[in-house]
Amino acid sequence: MRCKKAETMILRSLDGRLDGRAAGDLEEHLRTCASCRKAEAEYRTMVSLLKTGKEEAPLPRFWERLEPRLKEEQKLVPLVLWERWALHAVPVFVAIVVLAAGLFVFTPQTRELSQSEALLLGNANPFSETRRLFEANRPEDKSMMLIFASLDEKPAVRSQRP
Amino acid sequence: MDDKQLVRLAQDGSPEAFEELVRKYQSKVFSMAMSFIRNKEAADDAAQEVFLKVYLALPKFHGKSEFGTWLYRIAVNHVKDVLRKQGRAKEVPLDDVREPSTTDENVLEKNVTARQAEDRKAVVQGFVQGLPEKYRTIVTLRDIQGLPYDEISRVLYLSPGTVDSRLHRARRMLRKKLTPYLSQEGGPHAL
Repeated sequence: MRCKKAETMILRSLDGRLDGRAAGDLEEHLRTCASCRKAEAEYRTMVSLLKTGKEEAPLPRFWERLEPRLKEEQKLVPLVLWERWALHAVPVFVAIVVLAAGLFVFTPQTRELSQSEALLLGNANPFSETRRLFEANRPEDKSMMLIFASLDEKPAVRSQRP
Repeated sequence: MDDKQLVRLAQDGSPEAFEELVRKYQSKVFSMAMSFIRNKEAADDAAQEVFLKVYLALPKFHGKSEFGTWLYRIAVNHVKDVLRKQGRAKEVPLDDVREPSTTDENVLEKNVTARQAEDRKAVVQGFVQGLPEKYRTIVTLRDIQGLPYDEISRVLYLSPGTVDSRLHRARRMLRKKLTPYLSQEGGPHAL
């Protein structure tokens, strides 16, 4: 085993992350390599000095000092509550919008029938009125008839279209 | 009552539940802050700030991770911010870890003479502060705080492999700097 690999294994062994076989290999290497033995000892000393071993308590009356600060922050609670409410409201709002869009898209639309369609629906000849226009001999008459026809407002007929 | 129940109650506005969470975790958060900041008053203030942040962020906590992990993540990030503001988290080139100053050496000599375990620990931990931030964070969480690998991985959003390699590199750097003081044969700086 090379010393570089042995060092990696030493580092792993510090955390107990070395399996039995690897630990055996490392042990064998350490028996024959003085520099790795020294490295291992140094790593172990270093890690033991780094470990605090216990949790330190904060300064006294930690909660008692924190509580007024929290109350101060509670002035922002309406905002926090609104945030919570908004968090739930957003998906509901999105669902409503999607539903409304779906209804709009899939609901049959009503539209105005053209004059010809209305006549056809009433079983009347749609060309009877325009025939006179086509039959006019003089172009001036034709133009005048067209102008008056366009001015002639007829009530729109509404019908359901499947 | 477990954390999940306490968190749910605190989210519903129970101050008692939040107080219980604070009392349960205050030492963990303080110790972690202390490992980084190494000043009781500043670490205590940082711990208070952490719990304020937690209180405000609680409505956004959905329990995707453990409460303790989430709290630790907030704490680590806050402490890093504090250090950055203090200008102590300045990145140091990898091969340029801070050498102990004359003052450090004097302190070290004094502590070696006194042979006080706590002082020795403080000296060694002082060297950790000279590491670049990412290495200092990982050594602090693993070797000083004793967090398990998977917990560090979750707190720092790092893969276990990255935690492993970063920790090994940090320990190598630290040992290189500490070698004169780690001598078993009792060199001039032996701890």
